[in-house]
Amino acid sequence: MKWFLNLTMRGKLFVCFGLIFALFAGVIATAYTGIATILESQNRLYKEDFANVRDLMALRANYNGMRVLMLEAQLLSKRTEQDPLLAQAAERSKQIDGITLSLLERAKNDPNRLSRLEELKSVWQAFAQTKDAEIIPLILAGNLAASRQFAVGVQQGRAQKIRAIAEELGKASEEGARLGLAHAEQRANQLFGIFLFVGIVAVAIGIVLALSMARVIAGPLRELSRIADLVAAGDLTVNMARDHRADEVGVLSQTFRRMVESLREVTGNIREGINVLGSSASEILAATTQVASGAAETGTAISQTTTTVEEVKQTAQVSSQKAKYVSETAQKSAQVSQTGKKSVNDTVEGMNRIREQMEAIAESIVRLSEQSQTVGEIIATVNDLADQSNLLAVNASIEAAKAGEHGKGFAVVAQEVRSLAEQSKQATAQVRSILTDIQKATGTAVLATEQGTKAVDAGVKQSTEAGESIRILAESIGESAQAATQIAASSQQQLVGMDQVAAAMESIKQATTQNVAGTKQAEAAARNLHELGQKLKQLVERYKV
Amino acid sequence: MPTAENKKRTLKERARALAREPKGEAPAGEEIEVLEFQLAYERYGIESSYVREVYPLKELTPVPCVAPFVLGIINVRGQIVSVIDLKKFFDLPEKGLTDLNKVVIIHNHAMEFGILADAILGMRRIALRNVQPSLPTLTGIREQYLRGVTPERVVLLDAGKLLTDESIVVREEVES
Repeated sequence: MKWFLNLTMRGKLFVCFGLIFALFAGVIATAYTGIATILESQNRLYKEDFANVRDLMALRANYNGMRVLMLEAQLLSKRTEQDPLLAQAAERSKQIDGITLSLLERAKNDPNRLSRLEELKSVWQAFAQTKDAEIIPLILAGNLAASRQFAVGVQQGRAQKIRAIAEELGKASEEGARLGLAHAEQRANQLFGIFLFVGIVAVAIGIVLALSMARVIAGPLRELSRIADLVAAGDLTVNMARDHRADEVGVLSQTFRRMVESLREVTGNIREGINVLGSSASEILAATTQVASGAAETGTAISQTTTTVEEVKQTAQVSSQKAKYVSETAQKSAQVSQTGKKSVNDTVEGMNRIREQMEAIAESIVRLSEQSQTVGEIIATVNDLADQSNLLAVNASIEAAKAGEHGKGFAVVAQEVRSLAEQSKQATAQVRSILTDIQKATGTAVLATEQGTKAVDAGVKQSTEAGESIRILAESIGESAQAATQIAASSQQQLVGMDQVAAAMESIKQATTQNVAGTKQAEAAARNLHELGQKLKQLVERYKV
Repeated sequence: MPTAENKKRTLKERARALAREPKGEAPAGEEIEVLEFQLAYERYGIESSYVREVYPLKELTPVPCVAPFVLGIINVRGQIVSVIDLKKFFDLPEKGLTDLNKVVIIHNHAMEFGILADAILGMRRIALRNVQPSLPTLTGIREQYLRGVTPERVVLLDAGKLLTDESIVVREEVES
């Protein structure tokens, strides 16, 4: 039995069905031979015995019919009524001739029968001769009584003889047919027995095979279906015994066992995974909600940023224009600074000349100061003289007053002298005040020239320094001009860049709008995911691992 | 610049002004001729009959052991003359002495001394009719030496009383 179990399913089926097919083939062969025998006997029965009986019956019927027609014609007297009857009788006579010939033909192998048929034929020919040669002309002649004479006389005996032979032959044929039938029945009974035996044997073998197949295949399959039912109900804790069958059922149970084990493992992993998934989905939901709000804030921020960038762009435009203007101005400044350098060199030379002239002025003023000192001494002397003259005039007046009436003219002179002295005194006072002013002025001028000299020295120094400074300044301005040109170019590029930035910010703004929508969708998706995780958790809880 | 014609006209106007007869100030009444001089900020006058001469204050020699109003002595062409400072009498502010100070030497038949003056203003004729008596508020030595005040606010000094006043004569002996 072990080898059968280890046979593959195909092999098993081939073995079982091969057995059954062989049995069927035996049954069919026996049935075929039996049926062929029966068919043969029946054929013979039909072709010989049955045909003979039929022909004899037909012969008898035609004969009787003809005789009736003849008799009817003899009874009738009118010629118009007799002709159709006679024609029919002639027709029947021809048929009887044909049937007789066929009967003779069939009875060639049977001598007994042939002799009887020859006899029948001779009688019939005699009858037909009498009928055609004597009766019909009598009838046609209207001699009905004579014709009746013939009919009742000679023809009567011939008719009985024909009937007797025909009956005899018919009985013989019936007997032959009965014998054939009995033989066929016997053969059929024999075949039935064979069929019954072979059928019972085949059914018995089929039942045995079916039972064994059922035991070998259905048993393990039922067990497997029971376990599958448990698994379907969510119980993965079942343990299956190891089976070492090599056929498909064995393979099926092995794979089923592995399937259950892997399913158990997978379900365990899935449960853990779903727990992780559930918590992750919750976190994702929270995170996505935050991201959605963040994206909304980002959207507003980017909107503001876009506005700012637009403003910055305008500012950059203004800066670019200004930078261009500054660049041009710096070029001009560079030229101006070159001019300024030359001017400063001229200024230094001019300052040197001024210093020389200032020294000359200082000497002149010092001389002037000394001379005004001398003038002051002279004025003091003149003033003293005027004072003395004044006193003399007063004394002269006094003397004139003492002289009384005679001194009157002298008093006038004294008065004039005094007034002259007074005038010269005033004049000297004026000169003195002027001289004082001059002296002050010269003092101031001396100081001023000294300061001027110092200032000129300082000016020379400063103008030299200024020249140096302006030279450095010119260099700086040249560098500045270059830098300003570069700045102008840079700001132009910056402007272009700002344009691009503005466009990019516009794109970012649109993208952010889409992002906001996207994050909202993501939030909804995360919520769905979260719910899905919860559902999956409930679903997995059903499985026992 | 004054043109030549302008100069000529100005000179002619001056000559005409000088040639004009002085208007009769006070033909009626007695007139005296006074020497007008300045002391501090006030103007004083002394009758010219008492004035000998005016002399610049030079080489003043202070004299010890005399009253404060005696400044010192000076040499006038060989003659020694004492100098008196009237500011001390009249409580006038001191201005300090310079070469510009003058000495008015007054005299009568018995006495002769100099009076310090800050400046000599000149001779002037004053009608006695217009001289108003000295203010009653002035008392003491001032009232004693003043003859009156002219409308031109010239204080007229009484030189005769000054010369004859015994109080200004220095009579002091220094005990050795």
